[in-house]
Amino acid sequence: MTTKNQEANIFTSSLDFLVNWGRKNSLWPFPYGTACCAIEFMSSETARYDLSRIGSEYVRFTPRQSDVLLVAGTITYKQAPILKRIYEQMAEPRWVIAMGACASSGGFYDCYCTVPGIDHIIPVDIFIGGCPPRPESFFDAMFELQNKVADESYMKQRAERLREQVEALQEKSKACVASAQDYAKNTSENLSNTVRSKVSKALNTISLKKGS
Amino acid sequence: MSFFEEVFLLLQDKFGAAPDPSALDHSVLIEASKLHSCVSFLKKEAPVKMEVLLDIVGVDYLGYLHHEGPRFAVIYVFKSLSSPQSRIRLKVCLSEDSPQVPTISDLYPIANWQEREVYDQYGIHFEGHPDLRRLLNHVEFKGHPLRKDYPVHQRQWLSTNDFLLDVLEARLEEKGYKILERSKEVLPNDDEYLTGSIQK
Repeated sequence: MTTKNQEANIFTSSLDFLVNWGRKNSLWPFPYGTACCAIEFMSSETARYDLSRIGSEYVRFTPRQSDVLLVAGTITYKQAPILKRIYEQMAEPRWVIAMGACASSGGFYDCYCTVPGIDHIIPVDIFIGGCPPRPESFFDAMFELQNKVADESYMKQRAERLREQVEALQEKSKACVASAQDYAKNTSENLSNTVRSKVSKALNTISLKKGS
Repeated sequence: MSFFEEVFLLLQDKFGAAPDPSALDHSVLIEASKLHSCVSFLKKEAPVKMEVLLDIVGVDYLGYLHHEGPRFAVIYVFKSLSSPQSRIRLKVCLSEDSPQVPTISDLYPIANWQEREVYDQYGIHFEGHPDLRRLLNHVEFKGHPLRKDYPVHQRQWLSTNDFLLDVLEARLEEKGYKILERSKEVLPNDDEYLTGSIQK
């Protein structure tokens, strides 16, 4: 009796393809909602539009667990350092979507308090127009981002990262050797000094005893 | 005699109030030196007591058509709870050299933040205010943006987010709490804290 399991059960692929396939179908967003665009994002999460069909159903409210920073709303100068800090707290790989006119360009807030586009602070991958954009535009941006993720090469990035690490290690080891040599030199000098002083003291005492 | 006419006569007698020709109804001009006693009279002794302070508004008349007189004004809007249709507006005119008004935050607690906002946007000082800091703009902001001579497109970046722990601790201690120890993470460390900062 033959079953399917007895047939060859493997397939070949490139690692890049596999990693990107996993990444692009589990893009977990971090909603940085400050205005009405965040309401549109909520509706794209609902069953009518259903963001989970592209694997983005988990909205994470911590930057440590999310992949996509979704800036939905107006960013003021008072808030800019907070946004930048949250972006820096996200683990790589990370992507940024600027949702709506305000986040992309400041919108109609041409005034003393609004940042004219978040690309002044952090790098942005996708801009969405609209005030606020409909959920369809948001989906369009997510598909665009999926294409972008599919184009990235995990192996290349890994090689670059490894090269950087190796260079850092080499520099560190050089510094370590130099400091060790310094230390050895200093301690040997100190040691010889102490030994010399002890010997001279001993000689002195001996000569004193001899004299008496 | 309507409510407003009655109160206006009283204010005229006691505090030398004048009618405000340029404004809408129920508006009274008053001098800055008599503002505090006038507000306290309106709140506690007037025939219709003004229990609610609705708003404090700053005005900059620079470049205003057909305007004569001092540049700045502060307008206080009051409302009564016992007869909700009765409202009154007090207007204080202030010169550009010394824009100063006495605070009324001891009479109305809400005036604390409203005065802070007027100070932030117009640079009008409220004498005797317990904590006159900026309310809407950030700590590194220079100038007062709603003044007519502020350049609208002047952008002012904030390098680090406002450090509010000392304010928070003062508020807690005021309420009877004691600060036993601080977590190291919340203290501003020059190296670590500023890594998230925004450079020009």
